[in-house]
Amino acid sequence: MKGRVLVVDDDVALAEMIGIVLRSEGFEPTFCAHGDEALDAFRAASPDLVLLDLMLPGKDGIEVCRLIRAESGVPIVMLTAKSDTVDVVLGLESGADDYISKPFKPKELIARVRARLRRTGDPAPEHLLIGDLEIDVTGHRVLRDGVPISLTPLEFDLLVALARKPTHVFTREVLLEKVWGYRHAADTRLVNVHVQRLRSKIEPDPENPVIVLTVRGVGYKAGPPDG
Amino acid sequence: MNRLSSRAWRAYRTVTRWPVRAVRRWRSSLQLRVLTTTMLLGLVAVALIGTVLSQRISADLFERRTTEVLQEAARATVQMRSNFDASATRTGPEITEMFLYSGRQSLLTGSADRSVFLLRSPGPLPPVLVNDFVSNEALRSLITPELRAATADAEGGQRWQSVAIPRDQSDPTAVTPGIIVGSTVQVNIAGQYELYFLFPLAAEQEVLGFVQRTMAIGGVLLVALLVAMTWLVTTQTVRPVRTAARVAERLADGHLTERMHVRGQDEMATLARSFNEMAESLQDQIERMEQLGALQRTFVSDVSHELRTPMTTVRIAAEVLYAAREEFPPALHRSAELLSTQLDRFEELLADLLEISRFDAGAAVLDAERRDVRDVVASAVDTVSALAERRGSWLSVEFPERATYVDLDPRRVERILRNLLVNAIEHADGTDVEVTVGVDERAVAICVRDYGVGLSQEAAEHVFDRFWRADKARARTTGGTGLGLAISREDAHLHGGWLEAWGRSGLGANFRLTLPRRAGIQLTGSPLPLVPDNPMPAAPALPTQTDESAVGRGLDPAAIPDLDRLEAR
Repeated sequence: MKGRVLVVDDDVALAEMIGIVLRSEGFEPTFCAHGDEALDAFRAASPDLVLLDLMLPGKDGIEVCRLIRAESGVPIVMLTAKSDTVDVVLGLESGADDYISKPFKPKELIARVRARLRRTGDPAPEHLLIGDLEIDVTGHRVLRDGVPISLTPLEFDLLVALARKPTHVFTREVLLEKVWGYRHAADTRLVNVHVQRLRSKIEPDPENPVIVLTVRGVGYKAGPPDG
Repeated sequence: MNRLSSRAWRAYRTVTRWPVRAVRRWRSSLQLRVLTTTMLLGLVAVALIGTVLSQRISADLFERRTTEVLQEAARATVQMRSNFDASATRTGPEITEMFLYSGRQSLLTGSADRSVFLLRSPGPLPPVLVNDFVSNEALRSLITPELRAATADAEGGQRWQSVAIPRDQSDPTAVTPGIIVGSTVQVNIAGQYELYFLFPLAAEQEVLGFVQRTMAIGGVLLVALLVAMTWLVTTQTVRPVRTAARVAERLADGHLTERMHVRGQDEMATLARSFNEMAESLQDQIERMEQLGALQRTFVSDVSHELRTPMTTVRIAAEVLYAAREEFPPALHRSAELLSTQLDRFEELLADLLEISRFDAGAAVLDAERRDVRDVVASAVDTVSALAERRGSWLSVEFPERATYVDLDPRRVERILRNLLVNAIEHADGTDVEVTVGVDERAVAICVRDYGVGLSQEAAEHVFDRFWRADKARARTTGGTGLGLAISREDAHLHGGWLEAWGRSGLGANFRLTLPRRAGIQLTGSPLPLVPDNPMPAAPALPTQTDESAVGRGLDPAAIPDLDRLEAR
């Protein structure tokens, strides 16, 4: 499916260029050039995906990301000119699902956008159990004792990927491919940050995880279903 | 070295160490030097003064006593002469009696302890022979023949001589100074006799001894006082200097706010003030440099951001044009292609520039992990195998037989190797490229050898310079930014390693990367030689070469490092 994409970038030329590329691929871009107006633009456009520049006038990208994440689980892809560790991790921790560092090629951009808009899951109803959680894959819901837990689509995908093969150990590289859609080696910090975020939402005690377990030196696996 | 000899060595070291320590202390302590000098000079001065004084005093005492003694002896002689003249003795026993009487009398009068000798002068025998009178037989030998001769020649005048009177027969050194005064007397019918008086100078000697002892004690006290005063003065002078030294050391260690305590208005206060002013300006300078450094880093980061955003726009635009190139007329078609490929090059250059400015700003961080160096080499070789195939070069790799774990940043080391390999393949002109991995306990070395056009010696020195090209006219077919090897060398240095080049025109080139196996190991050598011993392409199974590489790769059991054994567990 094609979707609406909100491009938040203060560089008008780049925004326009991104718009041209997105339109040529059938997406509907809308634009916002100021950090302070980003949230209003987001509410007005209700996009399926947000492309967010880290450096913005007014509120910076990190702040905007936090605000959007506070009210929606919509996929957010950061555009960053800084590949320095701190900025990327800060952006991911504030709720971004993925990032592209400038300069990027249009194909790369489209691939990232497609990967985030792609709907996972089979049409057949599917129910998974992991720990004390119940996952309704088709309904895109996670329930604990019948109470739904709010997850972003990416966190949901991550959890489903782990829960489909309980006790199977996934390396970070495999998870990058399955959940983020990377074909070649990429930044494994993406996985680390999102596992932390997921745990903070689903684990009864995030310090001692029982649902998403770390396998030291290898990667992650799902804990066994209860009872 | 066995245990015993090592212990002996240690003992020897302990023995030989203290003079070394003393010398070091002597050199390092101004105060010690000043104190020692003061003490030595003081002792010499006191000794000189003491000697001179004591000589003057003893000479004076002796002179006075001599005058007294001569007067006393003269009086006693006159007395004895008058006794002899007045007597009317005619026989030997009478004269002997008179000798005894006069001698005893002269012993009783005058100063105590003196001895009297009445000896017959040599000459023709007189009509009556009388025995000599000697009050102390033991001291008779003190009257020397020279004195007797002189006395005899004096014709009634006085002659004297100073002598050493033995106090104790058994100890020849225990003597008291004394004076013997001699003159002649005429005795009726018995002829001429010599009269000698021996005066011991025991009292004077005692006085002199007392004076000398007093002076010695005084001298020692004076020197002690002098040393104490010097110590006090030097301490007062040296303490601020020491404080300054300590503060300077703290400053040097980076505690830039450290200052000296200023007290009073004297020279030391001036020193402290000047020192503090110096520290102040130093701190200013360093802070300014730090700010410049921070500014530089911010600048690099800003340039990075500012350049990348328009770069992205241009990049995307170029790609859009490139994707649609088939619809363009030929000139535009080619333009779109050129735009796209040159943008790739531009992007590479930008990335390299940013990387090198990160090194310059000291912002490069080593992301080290423990990896089998063979994996890293294999991965780098994999990435260039396609290029090697295109250029018709064979790539051969020699590995150590067992896993060799090294603390390294795989991204950087792979980048170095990729650079070296691409370089080698580019310049090999279709000849073979050899990669050799050598290892010892402390280091791992990776050599990339090609047999192409080679490097001149001068080129080998400059090959790591930024934007340096071996041949300015040579067309760069596979591109390259001119920064690759400079970045590689920075990457090697970041590991605490070496990156070196060897080359001869026509014989190819050899690049050697040496890395310490663990962080903190200081490299002292490399497991592989930089200058290859086979300048021509290696013939298979050359005996010398296999020997060399066998040792280099640690196949010799003695060369197998313990690290590997630990790793294997």
